[in-house]
Amino acid sequence: MNNIVIENYTAEFGESFTLRDINWIIEPNQHWVITGTNGSGKSALSAILAGAGEKLSGSISGLPERVELVSFEAQAELIDRELKKDDTDIMDVISEGTPVREILEEGKADNPDFDADLLEELIKKFKLESMLERSFRKLSTGETRKIMLIRALVNKPGLVILDEPFDGLDVDSMTMLNELLQSQIDTVPMVLVLNRFDEMPDFITHVAYTDKGQLHHTVDIKDEQAYNDLYQLLHLKTTNLEVPETDDSDRPPALNPEDPLVKLTDIKVAYGDSKVLDGESWVIEPRQHWQLSGPNGSGKTCLLNLITGDHPQCYTNDIFVFGMQRGNGETIWQIKQYIGYVSTALQWEYRVSISVRNVIISGFHDSIGMYTKSSDRQKKVADQWLKLLGMEDRADQPYNQLSFGDQRLLLIARAMVKHPTLLILDEPCLGLDDINRQLVLALIEKICNSSDTTVIYVNHHAEDQISGIKQFKQLEKLA
Amino acid sequence: MSNNYFNTLPLREQLEQLAKCRFMSMDEFSEGVEALKGKKMVVIGCGAQGLNQGLNLRDSGLDVSYALREAAIAEKRQSWKNATENGFVVGTYEELIPTADVVLNLTPDKQHTSVVNAVMPLMKEGSCLSYSHGFNIVEEGMQIRDDITVIMVAPKCPGSEVRAEYVRGFGVPTLIAVHEDNDPKGEGLALAKAYAVGTGGHKAGVLMSSFIAEVKSDLMGEQTILCGMLQTGSILCFDKMVEKGIDAGYASKLIQYGWETITEALKYGGVTNMLDRLSNPAKIKAFDLSEELKVIMRPLYNKHQDDIINGTFSRVMMEDWANDDKNLLGWRAETAETNFEKTPAGDVEISEQEFFDNGILMVAMVKAGVELAFETMTAAGIIAESAYYESLHETPLIANTIARKKLYEMNATISDTAEYGCYLYNHACLPLLGDFMKNIDTDVIGKGLDLADNGVDNARLIEVNAALRAHPVEAVGAELRAHMADMKKIV
Ligand SMILES: NC(=O)c1ccc[n+]([C@@H]2O[C@H](COP(=O)([O-])OP(=O)(O)OC[C@H]3O[C@@H](n4cnc5c(N)ncnc54)[C@H](OP(=O)(O)O)[C@@H]3O)[C@@H](O)[C@H]2O)c1
Ligand SMILES: [Mg+2]
Repeated sequence: MNNIVIENYTAEFGESFTLRDINWIIEPNQHWVITGTNGSGKSALSAILAGAGEKLSGSISGLPERVELVSFEAQAELIDRELKKDDTDIMDVISEGTPVREILEEGKADNPDFDADLLEELIKKFKLESMLERSFRKLSTGETRKIMLIRALVNKPGLVILDEPFDGLDVDSMTMLNELLQSQIDTVPMVLVLNRFDEMPDFITHVAYTDKGQLHHTVDIKDEQAYNDLYQLLHLKTTNLEVPETDDSDRPPALNPEDPLVKLTDIKVAYGDSKVLDGESWVIEPRQHWQLSGPNGSGKTCLLNLITGDHPQCYTNDIFVFGMQRGNGETIWQIKQYIGYVSTALQWEYRVSISVRNVIISGFHDSIGMYTKSSDRQKKVADQWLKLLGMEDRADQPYNQLSFGDQRLLLIARAMVKHPTLLILDEPCLGLDDINRQLVLALIEKICNSSDTTVIYVNHHAEDQISGIKQFKQLEKLA
Repeated sequence: MSNNYFNTLPLREQLEQLAKCRFMSMDEFSEGVEALKGKKMVVIGCGAQGLNQGLNLRDSGLDVSYALREAAIAEKRQSWKNATENGFVVGTYEELIPTADVVLNLTPDKQHTSVVNAVMPLMKEGSCLSYSHGFNIVEEGMQIRDDITVIMVAPKCPGSEVRAEYVRGFGVPTLIAVHEDNDPKGEGLALAKAYAVGTGGHKAGVLMSSFIAEVKSDLMGEQTILCGMLQTGSILCFDKMVEKGIDAGYASKLIQYGWETITEALKYGGVTNMLDRLSNPAKIKAFDLSEELKVIMRPLYNKHQDDIINGTFSRVMMEDWANDDKNLLGWRAETAETNFEKTPAGDVEISEQEFFDNGILMVAMVKAGVELAFETMTAAGIIAESAYYESLHETPLIANTIARKKLYEMNATISDTAEYGCYLYNHACLPLLGDFMKNIDTDVIGKGLDLADNGVDNARLIEVNAALRAHPVEAVGAELRAHMADMKKIV
């Protein structure tokens, strides 16, 4: 193996982003972390190793023949490909989607190095046997991520790029993944893109820091001073947070203050023979904030979807929400008007062409995309949010050209914009860098302390705690 | 044997029915789902449309359950799973149909006669029967009991889209109709409107049409431009490229994914935008080729439309149904043997623009097919809006299927009716284009124009641009797309 040498490299990513003057050498046996703020170009820097971007000048040499990239974008693309397996107007069948095993073995046909033994080993280690025949697109975020990682490794690449590999994984899966990567460090150099320093695996030898499309620092982990400075830089705190007012003209009907907001009784959900929830109950009183946690696949998202009306089995369970007993002629829009919602699944589903400002305004309408006219008042509120997020100059840009982290910030603003009765944040910090994570946590804290919104906060990271949250609900994976 | 309903009507009424099509305004839906509130809706069949329409209707506050044939319940078939996993009540015809205020027939068209004959005796006095496609009523002349109201609510999109758009807070374009012979209480329109609201269709635009106009335009679109033209084009373009020495893997990929890429441009900005993606000389070339193609193929489009209008098409197809689908299955097997089908897409990179640059003939074929289908339908008395949905609007959907599944699988997954028509078209069109193809070379399919410079004659370019923009499919398309778009402009 030889060095990968990047010299005076400049490349364009779409119209809106350029990586400039990159000089970087990756030696064999080095393992890198790239870090930086959202939109700084860290994913782009990793992606040029996988051939992405349009080269304007400079050179890259020494790249191995097979490079595997696992990222939010790649994951979204695969999910998107699966979703596209739709049927047309004159068709007779509905597609069930590709089973997990097929996704895992996709490399087999034309990659002579494909390691079938490793695949079986990893399937065992990650306890995926029961998942192999299921449809890939029906997996949870964390499960999808694991599949993507394994798929990359069994192709036996000469370089692995992992863009935020730990996002969406619970503590157990993170430990397992760390072990897995650890076991491969002598076989393949790795480049990890990470937002969170605390997730950096022990085997990392070097850190690269990007800002505004340039590679600003490269630091050898052994150089303690340089490393600490970099850490400080990433912890720059934003001050003076103020949650923008909302547009009160379109409030949903007032609720009886005596009623709980949500009352779930003896909830049962199963897919075929496998049970996801079995006898779960939950009462959420107004202004009682909750933290909901549990391992991947324990049914957190399922439980939340029963509340929002997005899960079809909400009609067969005993569910009382916002004064309505489900299944009595109410519409899902009557329910959604009380709810603000953010999750990774929402980010995947938010695939419409729309401007940055309108993404926020769509929160007033509970829609994905904009289908009605917005008021001047709503535009004004949206602009205040953009200012808070430091995106005021991008109001009219297309949303889908933003980085994943920036999209996430916008969706959080969209969820909060109407000061909903119930704000559901399903792992809101996925994909955010340290600074923006602090920003979001501070915002949630503010909302928790405000008078009229009740928060449900789903999170794996013990250290991301919100001071206003006193109630905890833990789900366990059913056997 | 069945009795073609359309052919029983006097000419005056035939013309009136064909011309029925009006784009409804949003305030005609101010009653929402009121007309269906508290009524029992029972869906027969839980496939692409059945499941997804049902999910939407239930989320709109309506009472939905599923009546499946006994075998489907006993064997726990996919349709049974679809309904039960989504928390719906499922029962047999005997259990559910007698309680229904509205019965939604969402079984495959081929089964309609037997399904309707089975459920009609069980239906309540004064209830309503709805369809999402009018073949059974129009082509088979199905007679429905006098006390039953018969309506149609036909989403102009795949079932999965019907659901996805609803969840986003929107809907898909939808066509509604009332069968005037069966509207005893005069409530058909109110029910159809409420149903369209329940599926979200009213937000994306609703056409008030007739059973007849829906059937005659739907059949025409699917067998000519949608499936037939793309199938014929695939075969001809592939064989030509291979004959001229282009790598077969490359040729296969250019076609398999090319239709999807070029019709994506069609979807967003009509024929004009699709041609605007070409360089100026290539655009003029594509325009000229398509003019030539239109002259050659016009009689074929006319024949398809004539056979559809006078019932020849459905009669011949139903004869094949009665003959165990002998023709259909034979033709399906032939499709599997075409060279294009047997050559996998090569492992080569083709950029988005290259699909246009090297696929000039494909662009010309799409343009010719869309315009001919649209012109032929409107000449037969079908209104422009309907003709647009059944031609240009749906072409990208089929192109997307070819990208995923090539021809054989595309044909196996479209409805039998569409597939049958597709083969008829293909068999007639291949020889028809024989001479035309003799003069075709790799500059228009496979390699792209080989030009020292991109210069063109200004006057000619202006002429071509004006002709593109002046075609009637473009005006109606621009208007309808504005209703379907994200409405970026109005905000
Ligand atoms: N697909 C579209 O995009 C689309 C668009 C607009 C309109 N439409 C119209 O919608 C209707 C339904 O089409 P589809 O595409 O949804 O069909 P589909 O996906 O093939 O589903 C048909 C359903 O009917 C059941 N079925 C089949 N044969 C039956 C029989 N003999 N008796 C009772 N049930 C039977 C099937 O379940 P079992 O076999 O398990 O019983 C299946 O659940 C058609 O009129 C079609 O023209 C379709
Ligand atoms: Mg159609």
